[in-house]
Amino acid sequence: MIGDIVNIIETKDLEFEYQTLDDDGKVIESNKVLKGINLTIPKGQFVAVLGHNGCGKSTLAKHFNGILVGSKGKVFVNGIDTADDDKIYDVRQNVGMVFQNPDNQLVATIVEEDVAFALENLGVPPKEIRRRVDEALNTVDMYKYREHSPHQLSGGQKQRIAIAGVIAMEPDCIVLDEPTAMLDPKGRKEVMATIKKLNREKGITIVFITHYMEEAAQAERVIVMDKGRVIMDDEPKKIFSRVEELKAVGLDVPQVTELCYELRKEGIDIPQDIITEQDCMEHILKLFGKDVL
Amino acid sequence: MNAVETKNLTYKYSVGTPFETTAVDDVNVTIEKGEFVGIIGHTGSGKSTLIQHLNGLLKQTSGDVIINGRNIWSKDVNIRDIRFEVGLVFQYSEHQLFEETVYKDIAFGPKNMDLSPEEVDKRVREAAASMGITDDMLERSPFDLSGGQKRRVALAGVIAMEPQILILDEPAAGLDPIGRDTVLEKISEYHKNSGTTILLVSHSMEDIVKYAGKVLVMNRGRLFCYESVDNVFSKSKEIQMIGLDVPQITRLSLMLKEHGVDLGDDIYTIERAKQRLIEQIKGKQEC
Amino acid sequence: MLKDITIGQYFPGNSIIHRMDSRFKIVLDIIYVIMLFVAQNFMGLAVAAIFIFMAYGVANIKFRLMLKSLKPIVPIVIFTAVLNLFFIKGEGNPLVDWWIFTIYWEGIETSLFMMIRIICLIVGMSLLTYTTSPIILTDAIESLLSPLKKLHFPVHELAMMMTIALRFIPTLIEETDKIMMAQKARGASLDTGGLMKKAKALVPILIPLFVSAFKRANELAMAMECRCYRGGEGRTRLRQLKASPIDFAVTALVLTVFGFVIVNNFIF
Repeated sequence: MIGDIVNIIETKDLEFEYQTLDDDGKVIESNKVLKGINLTIPKGQFVAVLGHNGCGKSTLAKHFNGILVGSKGKVFVNGIDTADDDKIYDVRQNVGMVFQNPDNQLVATIVEEDVAFALENLGVPPKEIRRRVDEALNTVDMYKYREHSPHQLSGGQKQRIAIAGVIAMEPDCIVLDEPTAMLDPKGRKEVMATIKKLNREKGITIVFITHYMEEAAQAERVIVMDKGRVIMDDEPKKIFSRVEELKAVGLDVPQVTELCYELRKEGIDIPQDIITEQDCMEHILKLFGKDVL
Repeated sequence: MNAVETKNLTYKYSVGTPFETTAVDDVNVTIEKGEFVGIIGHTGSGKSTLIQHLNGLLKQTSGDVIINGRNIWSKDVNIRDIRFEVGLVFQYSEHQLFEETVYKDIAFGPKNMDLSPEEVDKRVREAAASMGITDDMLERSPFDLSGGQKRRVALAGVIAMEPQILILDEPAAGLDPIGRDTVLEKISEYHKNSGTTILLVSHSMEDIVKYAGKVLVMNRGRLFCYESVDNVFSKSKEIQMIGLDVPQITRLSLMLKEHGVDLGDDIYTIERAKQRLIEQIKGKQEC
Repeated sequence: MLKDITIGQYFPGNSIIHRMDSRFKIVLDIIYVIMLFVAQNFMGLAVAAIFIFMAYGVANIKFRLMLKSLKPIVPIVIFTAVLNLFFIKGEGNPLVDWWIFTIYWEGIETSLFMMIRIICLIVGMSLLTYTTSPIILTDAIESLLSPLKKLHFPVHELAMMMTIALRFIPTLIEETDKIMMAQKARGASLDTGGLMKKAKALVPILIPLFVSAFKRANELAMAMECRCYRGGEGRTRLRQLKASPIDFAVTALVLTVFGFVIVNNFIF
């Protein structure tokens, strides 16, 4: 570790296999989902994890707060081994989780009660719960809905409530497992904006699992998984310039990146690491001898 | 002949209460037989309500729905026949699976049509094949399949009824890129092979322009426009104004146009953007 | 559609009744119900009825809603009334004596009495759910039953289950609607045919519903674990149930009315 850069999550040779047992407890089938994962995630980073379904990304996420414990290897959260049962609630309080289906993670019939759920479990005094719930609801911009019932809200709003329920625990890190997969474009934007705000303003570490590359492109670092392994781990520009490799593992690249890739194939001189429209436009205009003011 | 025609179609919820809302407002649209139409609009734009009228799951407050030349609510029409003529696949359609095997589940619709066992068998196998469901999958439980496979089984269940009009509500929602491309490719192939009229609801303009011939845009219960894919992006600005996304490549072309590089108003694929750019760059070099 | 069900619906407000400690509300509601059964004459019932009507006024709940709560029980009211009307034999001569029907004055009186009693009962119980959010009601039940914890009765678990059930009822109703539509679109006929056929037609709806409910339960359990849920031990609550002077004042009022009803039984 250098200076005050601390790793919030660290995995060492992490492996996980699902076993199907018969009635006598003998293993009939075993399926290795994670095959030796070594990752360190420093505090405050915004990491996106990409990969098609079944690549192991959700299984990996569930190791980050001890919902699953590896069959081999270790996971440390703030230096605590997630296999240590005595400290499991420290781990879960430090690493909050948000899941894909917004309906299936809200417990209470009233928004503010739901946001309070984790704090109630942790035995926080009522006054402090009230303060943290209000703060969390304001952070996700849902305070005025505090007395609504979840089923009156849109998907994006429900997902923001789920996020509020997690940030009320004041975690160092939030792991979001495809939080936008079931949302419409508006809901996706709302959730994305909320996540970025948490990272920027509160310095919360974000591990964001998705298969939308436009969303991954907004992260600081992108990890690409395939068949239980990390196959790429770099900043988004570098990752998305590897167009062919990404396509080979069933992922898209942003349209502008693909355009530049195609143009390069035709011998046109344009950089390969373009991932935003603005960037792409500027470079195309350069080809026409124009500069953007 | 027209497959679908709506005349002044209007649907209101909770009529006569303070909560009265007009979900579909005076929609007039004519869809030709064999067309592949993409329907787009934000949540609450009325697109889901609209499609539920086309097979009579909802009855309009006023106006008419005409399917293959027949007014579906006229007395001599049996609404159940309309449901066989117009197949409707809902969002997250894998939630409708219930049988022990994939085969039986796909057969549920055709059996309800009182077809002969031979005909049911033939249709199940054809529908399964068209959705890329292999023979060994037919005997498995639908609940053991992957998300994308389940989705295709559910689609096959409706396709096996051989509807003349097939309506799909977000068939790719929630799937990963591979699952999404597979489902949409299969639907597109099926459209080409069978000539069925297809209405595909999606939030993704990128998906729609890739497969559909025409685009129907809904906004606040009203028909915003119904245009061919080539023409629709001449309204890019207006489409963005009503809160819908256009493909990233279209946004790029709009930005370039503002800075004096005009690739045309029909840029929605990377292929076309590339061609036009190369033409213009070469043209400039020759000057 | 299934969505229109309103039983147990809560209408937020800020009246005295809304703000009352929900434990008091439950206990007072029970006293009110006992009062209805203790009352032996119209005078007693009238007092109870006026009391509950006034409570609706204080809670600012619209008259229309009160009627709405009665809608589902109309058949029961009519059934009880008819039963009493024809089967109560009075002294004196029957007022009507035609074919197998005989009606005595006492019959009319009793059936009227029973009707008012049932209506007051439902209206009174609805007031509780109209003015108390389900979750607070659950909290109150948990708190009232907490002495049973000593007997190892799973009070917290029960309350938690109730909360989750309340949370998921609208979701599952919506889901049922969707599945029904999807199967109808596949030609399922849900409302024709004999009993056996109808029962069979439910299979394509119930199986997907159960599959989805189990999936939801599974995911919810995991989400709860992620939010450090570990049973009722050491749990605190956002909302503290706290008795205020209003609660004692209202209790005094209810007890006064109750006393009047009892005394009234002996006087008239």
